[in-house]
Amino acid sequence: MKSTTNPSAALTKISGRFFKLASFVIAAAALAIGQSAPEVHLDAEGLAPRPIEELTGTTIVRYYAQAWRDLATALDANRTEGLGEEFTGFAKDRLAKRISAQTKTGVHLHVVDHGHRLKAVFYSTDGSAMQLIDQAQLEIQTFDGSKLLDTQNVPHEYMVLMTPGADRWYVRDLEEVSAAKSF
Amino acid sequence: MKPTFLSDLQLLKAAALLALCALPAMAADLRPPATVQAGQAFSIPVQGSGGATFYLVGPDIVVKREVKLDSAVQVQAKEVRAAGRYQVILCDSGCTSASFEVKAAQPAHLSFFLHPSRVPVSTPNSIDATAFVFDQYYNLVLAPSTVDFKITPASGAAFSRQVPTKRGVAWLRTDSTRNEGRVQVTAIDGNVQEARVVQQVAAEACGLRVRALPSGKTVTLETDPVRDCSGNALPDGTVVSFTTVDRDGKSTVDTPLKKGIAKTQVSIHGPAQVTVACGVVVGNEVSLSGKL
Repeated sequence: MKSTTNPSAALTKISGRFFKLASFVIAAAALAIGQSAPEVHLDAEGLAPRPIEELTGTTIVRYYAQAWRDLATALDANRTEGLGEEFTGFAKDRLAKRISAQTKTGVHLHVVDHGHRLKAVFYSTDGSAMQLIDQAQLEIQTFDGSKLLDTQNVPHEYMVLMTPGADRWYVRDLEEVSAAKSF
Repeated sequence: MKPTFLSDLQLLKAAALLALCALPAMAADLRPPATVQAGQAFSIPVQGSGGATFYLVGPDIVVKREVKLDSAVQVQAKEVRAAGRYQVILCDSGCTSASFEVKAAQPAHLSFFLHPSRVPVSTPNSIDATAFVFDQYYNLVLAPSTVDFKITPASGAAFSRQVPTKRGVAWLRTDSTRNEGRVQVTAIDGNVQEARVVQQVAAEACGLRVRALPSGKTVTLETDPVRDCSGNALPDGTVVSFTTVDRDGKSTVDTPLKKGIAKTQVSIHGPAQVTVACGVVVGNEVSLSGKL
């Protein structure tokens, strides 16, 4: 799992870029949280109909990285605790359902997260929803108990819908789509 | 005895045979369709014999069951309701896997929000409508469709705008109309529709006028009915400020509109100037001689 050893340096890097690009374009913001959250880059260039704010960009990156950290933990340990910190709505319901099914069947997944490239594609004018495309590099091992069933190490692409909460942004919808789509 | 030698071809065949014997038995072949519509049952052809364990791993489901390899593996409609990528794994002596994508079905729900809830009349680009298109299983419908935004003012003709969806989202920005009141915006995609309401309110006051009517030792200050430039009455409660400057100095009285009119009584000492303001709008000025 890739992580940045100095998160504060990453934050500084983001801030510099935000201020540099006064036209509300985030070319690439990166942030890593702690030692286990994956690296997430956000590109919000050309975002419409509302431009992204500096704080919003930083928050999106932080909580999306945390979401994947907690998702990987949940799929591996078959535990739903903590998913509500970053997931809500359909995304949370589906994950809870899946983990319940994993527990029943004895299946679990080990996700090695090599990072995410997020492209923000829609931000509603009232700031209540943001749609993003995530190009993720994931290595996914599927186990039945301790038996390794399958290993996938291919790029994954997700359509993501995030909505703001009181103090964070939540992943409301997370759908994997075929990478060949020209979004 | 004449020695016998194997030809190159015979050696190759023997080596291939040994290699095949040395390999573990191969898992059955698994060929799901590349894409499936959400909520539609289908079968996956398999090639092999005997039994195997079948796994289906999707966004909201994990299925594990024993299957016979002499017939296709059936996947039920309820097992593929969530859009996304699914993985199928078949294990007998070894495991083989494949993946397929479940795509959203036809639009069945609209998640529609309208912003803001109150807006001044005749304001350009002041109303925003956004619709997310979902299927019956609440998968975002990524296939393009068209959302028809129908705008129905309280008075005046309704009109509509067609907006194609992009990645399941359609949005519209439009001007508020001239008249105050309830404006209904309905998003329609096929047979699905959702309505929201925005309340249009009067804009800033326009042509604000005050009159001064002497009554005894006081002066009654009264505005004409306060309206915006489109003729809409400003709502009661809107504050109007009367400012008088006389011999004793400057004083201001804030008065809410009642029945569209602001009215107050002031005492003045000597010649005075009276002005009126409402929000950012300043009205006329009245001069009083001081002889009441």
